[in-house]
This record gives sequence, structure tokens and C-alpha cells, in this order.
Amino acid sequence: MYHIPKKGLTVWRLYGLFNTLFVLILACIASFLTYKFEWSVMIYFIAAVIVLICAITLIWLFPKIRWDHWRYEVREHEIEIQSGLFVVTTTLIPMVRVQHVDTAQGPILKKYDLANISISTAATTHVIPMLITNDADQLRSRISVLARVAEDDV
Amino acid sequence: MSNNRYKLHPVSTIINFVKGLKDLIIPFLIIFVANGFNVSFNPKEEGFWAELIPLVIMSIFTLAYLFNGVLKWWTFVYWFEEDELRVEYGFLIKKKRYIPFHRIQSFNYKEGIFHRIFGLVQVMVETAGSTDGKPEVILTAITKEAAKQIEQVTRNVKQNNMDSLTDVEGNVAILEDENSIIQPQRTILKMNMKDLIILASTSNSIGVVLAGVAAVLSQFSEFIPYEWIFEEVSSFIKFGFVFVTLIIFAGLLVAWLISVMITFINYYNYTVIEEDERITITRGLLEKKKITIPLNRIQAIKIVENPLKQLFGYSSVVVESASAGYGEKDKKMTLFPLISKKKVYQPLQELLPAFEWEQSLTRPPKKAKPFFYRLDFFWIVPLIGLCSYFWFPFGLLSILIIIPVIFLGLWQYKTTGFAIKGNQLTIVYRIISKVTFVVEKKRIQAIQSKQSYFQRRKNISSVQAIVMSGMTGATAKASNLNEHDAEQVLRWFEKSNA
Repeated sequence: MYHIPKKGLTVWRLYGLFNTLFVLILACIASFLTYKFEWSVMIYFIAAVIVLICAITLIWLFPKIRWDHWRYEVREHEIEIQSGLFVVTTTLIPMVRVQHVDTAQGPILKKYDLANISISTAATTHVIPMLITNDADQLRSRISVLARVAEDDV
Repeated sequence: MSNNRYKLHPVSTIINFVKGLKDLIIPFLIIFVANGFNVSFNPKEEGFWAELIPLVIMSIFTLAYLFNGVLKWWTFVYWFEEDELRVEYGFLIKKKRYIPFHRIQSFNYKEGIFHRIFGLVQVMVETAGSTDGKPEVILTAITKEAAKQIEQVTRNVKQNNMDSLTDVEGNVAILEDENSIIQPQRTILKMNMKDLIILASTSNSIGVVLAGVAAVLSQFSEFIPYEWIFEEVSSFIKFGFVFVTLIIFAGLLVAWLISVMITFINYYNYTVIEEDERITITRGLLEKKKITIPLNRIQAIKIVENPLKQLFGYSSVVVESASAGYGEKDKKMTLFPLISKKKVYQPLQELLPAFEWEQSLTRPPKKAKPFFYRLDFFWIVPLIGLCSYFWFPFGLLSILIIIPVIFLGLWQYKTTGFAIKGNQLTIVYRIISKVTFVVEKKRIQAIQSKQSYFQRRKNISSVQAIVMSGMTGATAKASNLNEHDAEQVLRWFEKSNA
């Protein structure tokens, strides 16, 4: 089983940072309103605590757990993906069922030279995130080759 | 092949029109209610002309729909050419749709009241690609002979293709033999009056009907002279009790009768026929429906027993099929709406001989018991807290909700299980209704095992199988199994161990 590259963890932390900033902005608005309309002082504390919790969980804790849990393996006949935050999910997809494979890359991922692969079957879509772009492209073409070779002999 | 162009029956204008009107009913009602129903017919009254505006708009819309219906009929043609069913319609924007015959999965038929008066039928053409819940082509109204002709042409073309294929491969004899054997048509299930009444009494919809009747009764409560009754009754409290009981009883009876009536109209003469590798379901009293499911499109079978049905030893059978929507909203197709649990396996065996239905299940271990209700405390505890806080002291009674939740959890624990036999996976689970989910390995799209931190500490894990069904797929989950049992399902699914 392969791990996600360490860079992926950095990107997840970055996402967490953005989310925390968003929460921070909301908290600032709430504090400003509290100041202006002279609401209870408690609101300052609550806002501060919420921002702090978000910062700890979204930037430090969750990305770490998620990164620890993520594994993937592409074998000749099936793809196995393990993921999850609180509940660890192990998914098994036979090559025969793979309909198409996509890679996607946003601006942040591009900066870090990473890409997401998503594998679609007739009913489901599964993602392997944060792969080095080169690896992702190779993996994509490998899956598509394997999926073409795999015969439905059941 | 003849290149005759066929038109729809003129009645389809009316059918289109009525269908359009159905969409308009709600906006019309809103306009009327907003107007307060005070439409006056006296031109001399003040504000008459202003009030007329909505009416005018309404009639314009109605006319537009009528015109549209006529136009659609006027321009609509279908014909057969180059092994394709071709359809063309539209006045300003011409729409053309060509469907190769070999892509056609099935024809489904519907006969509404208008259709039945004129001996017509609505044909819905289903292809493998139409997963968005809509049939590829709808022929609103054609004569039954024309419908038969389309089916005949399709069958001929498919047959010819097969023959030409066999010529190439050189084993004509075998296939011709197979072709010449016309498979006899077998009736798998036919529902009689008694079945219908039981179905009406045990289906989930009776709850909806009950609510409806309650709502109507509460509307009428304005007209019930409560004060008078209470005055009269204060001296006869016992009589009051009887009165209330009678009302409730009458309500139940009315609800039941309505439910029976609805079921009777929808499921009258419910027949399941197997013919030529496809299942055909016919049903309906006023509106006749005929639905075809090719056997090879079936992804999984579900035997569903809601608590009421389970109590009386009945079940229903639902098919998860690859093509979504048979001109209906639900992607799941009910195969047998009601069948006694004892008899259910025999017709299924006839339809799908590859499956084995009765199996001994691998159950979750004893230590998994608390997992079935523990997670529910996440929402129950805050709920009880809120109730107790806001409605003290009576809110404390909400603690009692724990009892049914735990009971349901234990019931789920008792029901859950799975079995593997050859290429077949059986998963039994319960949310409220007990579901027996049977699927072949080659129909499973993916298998997942799920394990939370607490489950890992006890070596417990859940397993779910996902099959294709409509757009999103259907999932069956066996919760809180022993870890190595869950592992066994995953290894079974791996091809190398096949």
C-alpha cells in the first residue's frame, strides 16, 4: 500500500488555513457587531474559542489523521483505497468495473505539482488525492490500460 | 423495409393538452386563492376589469397549451429506416431522434382513460443510455396494432442481425435452433382480491392516507359544534369517551377504505409474466401499465419486509435495475408488491435460477450489540437536553425515547447478517424494514469496509456493497460484523481469489 506524498499534507494544512481564515472573518464580523450594538461580552470569548478550535482541528489535527489513514494500491485486477477521518473506509474496485479515470489539478495543487485522480465506475466515483503530477498521469494511464485488459469472465 | 411515415393518433393532442393542464392547476389555484375567490361576473361592479386580468392570462395559457398540443401532434412523425427508429417533431425547432433498434432495451406501455376509450396505447422506448429517468422516446398515443408493429419490426431486425452474425462465425445451426424455439410465456405471479386488500392494509402508504384523512377531519372540526357537545357531554363523560373512540375508529376505517381503493386502482390485475428473457408487468384498473424489464439488466434483488408485513408473514420484492425510470419517478422497480414469505422463493427461483435464496447467515458478534444504538445517542442526548430545558418538567419524559431507539437497535442487530456462496453475496439488514439484498459478484461495482476508532478497538467492522441503479447506485450495508468476517467479503471480491 502506498501513502500520499508528504506534500499533500502541506496542501491539506493550507486548505485548513483558508477555512480557518474564513471562520476568522465571520468571527470578526460578529465581534464588530457586538462592539457596535453593545451585545454581551460573552460573544467575544465564544468567537475566539471557535476560531481557536477551528485552527487546531482544521490546520493541525484533521489533516494529520487524514494523511495517516490514506493508502492506495493499484493491482492488476483491482484498486484498493483506504481513507477516512473518523471512520476508516477501505474500498475495493475491480478493474473490470472502471469506466473512466480523470485527473484534476487546481491552482494550489499546480503550485505544489500535485494532482487528484478520480476513478469512476457505473455507480460510484473514488478519489485518490494529492499525487505528484507525474505519478498521477502514469497511474491514470496504467489504470486505463489495466481496465482495458481486464476481461469480464465472471 | 418500408419508409412509410406514421403519425400519432389525433387523440394525442387532447392527451398532451390535459397533461399540460395538470402542470397549470397549481398556479391557477394560487391565483384564485390570492384573489380570495371573489370573481364577480357583473361588468358594472367596480374593479371588474382588474379582476378579469388573471382570468385572461389563464385562458391565454390554456390556449397556448392547446395550440402546442395540436402543433406537436401535427408535426410528429416516426418511421423505420436503416435499422433505426426515427422520430421527428417540432415546428420552428425541428427535433430529430434516431435510435438503432439493437440499442432498444424495452418497450413500456401505458393506457390512460383516453387511451382506453379509443383503444390506443402510449409507448415509451427505453434504451441503455436513458439513465436520467426519462424514456428516450415517448409516442403519446398510437393504436395497439401500430405498437405491435414497432415491436415486431424491432424483433425482426434484431433477429436478422443475429443471423448475419452467425453467418460470419459459421455456427449457424446452433443459433438457428435456439431461435426457432419460441420460449413459452410463463405467468410468474398474479394477484387476487385478497392479496390486494392485504397489500392495501400493510403498505407504507397507509400512513400517508391516515395523515390525509386526519387533515381532512380536522378541517371539518370547524363544523362540529364542540361547545354544544361538551355541554351535553359534561354529564355523560362516558358517552364522550365512546364518541371520541367512534370518531377515531371511523377515521381509521375511512383511511383503510381509501387505501384499499387506491391500491385497487393501481394494482388491479397485477400480473408478472416471464417471456423471452424479459419480465413483463401489467397492472392498473383505470390506467393500464405494461412494463418490461430485460432479465440481464437486473443488478440486484431486494426482498423487503416492513414490520407490518413481517408480522403477517408477507414480503415484497424490489428489483434494482440498470436503466432508470420506466416513465416513472422511482428507479426501483417493484416486482412483487406482496407475496407470502413462504412462497417468495419459488417464483424467484424460476425467474433467476442462478441464485440461491435460503442461506445460513454469518451474524455480527455479541460484542457488536451496543454499536447498533450507541451512535444514536449523538442526536438523542442533545434532543433530550433541549426538551428537558425548554419544557421542564414534562420535557424530562423525552428520556423515554431511549427505549424504542435501543429496541430498534437490538432488532437491527438481530436481523443483520451476510452470506457468501459461489459468486453470490447476500446481505440482510434493517433500517426499519428488513431487507434481504441478493447480488451476483459481477454486478457489484465496489465493496467498502468501514471502521471507526471504537469499532477498531473491538475488532468490529461494517461492510457495504454498491451496485448500479439509476444515476446514483444502490448500497447494501451489513453493520458491525466481526473484523475477519468483513475481511472475508473483501477477499471474496478480489478477482485473484475467484
